[in-house]
Amino acid sequence: MSMVAVTAHGHSLGIVEHPGPASKRIITGYGFWIFLLSDIIMFSCFFAAFAVLMGQTAGGPTGAQLFELRNVAIETIALLLSSFACGMASIAADVRNQFWFQVAMVVTAVLGLAFLTIEFREFASLIARGAGPTRSAFLSAFFTLVGCHGLHVSAGILWLFTMMAQVYAKGFRADIQRRMLCFALFWHALDIIWVAVFSVVYLLGSMA
Amino acid sequence: MFGKLTLDAIPLSQPIPLIAGGVVLVAILAVLAWVVIAGHLPYLWKEWITSVDHKRIGVMYTLLAMVMLLRGGSDAILMRGQLAIAYQSQGFLPPEHYNQIFSAHGTIMIFFVAMPFVIGLMNFVVPLQLGVRDVAFPTLNSVGFWLTATGALLVNISLVVGEFARTGWLPYPPLSELTYSPTVGVDYYLWSLEISGVGTLVAGINLVTTVLKIRTKGMNYLRMPMFCWTTLASNLLIITAFPILTATLAMLILDRYLGFHFFTNEAGGNLMMFMNLIWAWGHPEVYILVLPAFGIFSEVVSTFSGKPLFGYRSMVLATMAICVISFMVWLHHFFTMGAGPNVNAIFGIASMIIAVPTGVKIYNWLFTMYGGRIRFTTPMLWAVGFMVTFILGGLTGVLVAVPPADFLLHNSLFLVAHFHNVIIGGVLFGVFAGYIYWFPKAFGFRLHEGLGKIAFWFNFIGFYVTFVPLYAAGMLGMTRRMQHYDIYEWRSWMIAAGVGTALLSIGVLFQVAQLVVSILRRDELRDYTGDPWDARSLEWSTASPPPVFNFAVMPEVKTEDAYWEMKAKAAHGEPQPEIHYQPIEMPRNSPTGFVCAFFATITGFSLIWHIWWLVIAGVIGAFVTFVVFAWRDSDEYEIPAAEVERVDRENIAERRSLVTAAGSV
Amino acid sequence: MSNHELHLHHEVAPGDEEEINVSSRVLGYVIGLGLALLLTATSFFIAGTNLVWEPSIPVAIIVLAIAQMGVHLVFFLHITTGPDNTNNVLALAFGLLIVFLVLGGSLWIMSNLNQNNMVPMDQIMQMQR
Repeated sequence: MSMVAVTAHGHSLGIVEHPGPASKRIITGYGFWIFLLSDIIMFSCFFAAFAVLMGQTAGGPTGAQLFELRNVAIETIALLLSSFACGMASIAADVRNQFWFQVAMVVTAVLGLAFLTIEFREFASLIARGAGPTRSAFLSAFFTLVGCHGLHVSAGILWLFTMMAQVYAKGFRADIQRRMLCFALFWHALDIIWVAVFSVVYLLGSMA
Repeated sequence: MFGKLTLDAIPLSQPIPLIAGGVVLVAILAVLAWVVIAGHLPYLWKEWITSVDHKRIGVMYTLLAMVMLLRGGSDAILMRGQLAIAYQSQGFLPPEHYNQIFSAHGTIMIFFVAMPFVIGLMNFVVPLQLGVRDVAFPTLNSVGFWLTATGALLVNISLVVGEFARTGWLPYPPLSELTYSPTVGVDYYLWSLEISGVGTLVAGINLVTTVLKIRTKGMNYLRMPMFCWTTLASNLLIITAFPILTATLAMLILDRYLGFHFFTNEAGGNLMMFMNLIWAWGHPEVYILVLPAFGIFSEVVSTFSGKPLFGYRSMVLATMAICVISFMVWLHHFFTMGAGPNVNAIFGIASMIIAVPTGVKIYNWLFTMYGGRIRFTTPMLWAVGFMVTFILGGLTGVLVAVPPADFLLHNSLFLVAHFHNVIIGGVLFGVFAGYIYWFPKAFGFRLHEGLGKIAFWFNFIGFYVTFVPLYAAGMLGMTRRMQHYDIYEWRSWMIAAGVGTALLSIGVLFQVAQLVVSILRRDELRDYTGDPWDARSLEWSTASPPPVFNFAVMPEVKTEDAYWEMKAKAAHGEPQPEIHYQPIEMPRNSPTGFVCAFFATITGFSLIWHIWWLVIAGVIGAFVTFVVFAWRDSDEYEIPAAEVERVDRENIAERRSLVTAAGSV
Repeated sequence: MSNHELHLHHEVAPGDEEEINVSSRVLGYVIGLGLALLLTATSFFIAGTNLVWEPSIPVAIIVLAIAQMGVHLVFFLHITTGPDNTNNVLALAFGLLIVFLVLGGSLWIMSNLNQNNMVPMDQIMQMQR
């Protein structure tokens, strides 16, 4: 959108006239984009809480004692590859190829579920070892931040399956294409947040 | 089976909530009975409850706000009554009730009066001012309204089932933790706000997208009405601030429900972090409230001075500056918590800087009035009353922005008087002005002018008689949230404040009377032309009330004050272009919002009372609703061109008789 | 309207890209994936190695994280600095500004508060008894 300088009388030949309302795809995409920004701000609050409470282990285990970086690396690769697969699904949707769309979405889902499985097992193991979220403020903050991201991934997978079903049942209708655009934005944003999570929580946290 | 809920939850031994709850319940049942028996239910369902029309939703938001104003105001009357008599006496409200009352008063006034009022006005007006047919996401708009209503419902249920929080309108830990607040009160607060917070966020996304992406042809950014700019700024703040509230309350919920340690005394929790995060939301929140009020005043002052707004571009800059700086001052709410002089100094200076753009706005309004032909209609009275009152409140704000001064005044009645000064003088006066200004557009008839003026004077004088004594008492050392006191010097101020409260109540009664009388006399007060004030922006070019599609043909805009220019052109006898009517597609009504809120209410209530099976049922219900909505095949319907033409020609015919200062239309 | 004006007003939804050629688009994602993998591997390597001067490791990890986010934004989300993307970039910039204010402000405030309000260790031990 161009903001062009206005002359004193408000109507000069140099002004670019606004052409009218934007298309539905742009409206939907932009609305979802600012929703994502609000979600990122919510995550930043959990990050702030984590940063403040990182050292409050209440005599209990620290990050360095708990984190297994090998699993974190596998989770990271899984999510990154799933982002790539989602990108392929976006392209398939744009060229309206039902087969490649469904294949790419299945790959995205499998990788996402792999991520969730590893994370769930990590949480279960921590709780079993007495390092659950009620043990200390550090662990409360850890479980909340990483768990919130995991909840978002879970919701994303539910959404993914819904998208697969809708495209299968109704084809590449315009409103379904708009939802696919939003889903892709969501899925990529989750990977961006994961970059922050594994860098700050796991890598920096395991050095403490 | 029912979690913590037992029959003991109903306050049978406490007369005040019991009687209040009983009266309200009887009133609700009576209204419902009348609606059903008189056969209005299908109309209500089709035209209002399932409506996705921004005009209808805006009216419902405003109605919710006005009803909740009566509830929040009743709490205020109880408090002022208590303090007027509780010198060396326990008064009529024991501490555990008094604490719930001031907590409910603040919560309701901020979240269920001020927020819905401004959101309602923005929803109604903005698409009309931008020359378009609806907001960006109409069904989502409905969801947002109904979720807000859910929050209001939950807070009010706490009056008769269980109790409300006793922690104040912001539940500071460790008092709000399970150890010191083991009952459901804080949970009512938390879930009610988490649910309505989603509604608010949704409204924010809707309005930002609408202002940035849905404007009529030629409506460049610098030709938008000022109210649209303040809507943009306020909703940008909603989108960025409300996630902070959601996250912080979620952390408190996790502490209370799952034994986490974010803010507990034990296991390393840090209670100061709650204050820090909650005020990082809390300060932008007050700008979310006041920026739309500033926008309303820009519209009202320029219309009733008969002049374009002075300094439009400096107003835009000031608005956006306030938007950004509002995120840089939040520590001034806890200067006394111990961050140290350096931190306090930076935030204190920032808090003073933010007064500058507001000052710019006041000067612009004054210069708009200067040299204009001023009409002192009721909205203009509210505007001038605002200018005086808000300046005083702002000055006391700059006073408490000085950390050493705040060390004495923090949490005293001086502070209470300051924030009521700016919220009432700024936000409430603004929404009253907007309500009267845009009422004819919404309903097709004006509000009774005489009663409106009387209401204004009672409110205006009542405000000063109530709150100036509080400034004095605060200077004399009286703190807030005090259930009784023993200091003789404070007594006369408390009695004076009680008198002021009576004046304010009379003012509110006159507002109610104004509405009732206007409805009864609506034929005399009818607005036939759609432009009862001879105004300047596009909403006044439509009929009153506008047709569902707002504009038969979306206007093409060439300047600021687009409608004024249209009137001037018509007066100069410029030929009007041939109108080619096209069929118009409008979004279908949908029960999604209402049904979603229904499940949200069930989920919220059962979370509060720990009825876990019902929580799961509610969540599943909400998810199913969403999938059903997502699966629908047609979400629009078409209005044929002939129908559009018929409606529009009626409007044009009515307007031929209108003679305005700009010329005929 | 002139062609000049039409061009200036063209807008793109966030996440959409102008490119329509399928193989170019796939290539874009492949490059993004490759860069991201490289940066991620470097992050993990740096966290565990002795080869880098230790105090610089947190800074390096954060810089690498920001770089990875940038790769995602450019190659996966197609956020560019073209005039058709201006609204999207502005929204992102505003969001990021608020993130830095809230994060940075909170960290600064909390560290000052903790420092000034910290109770000496022996008193904490007494309280826990």
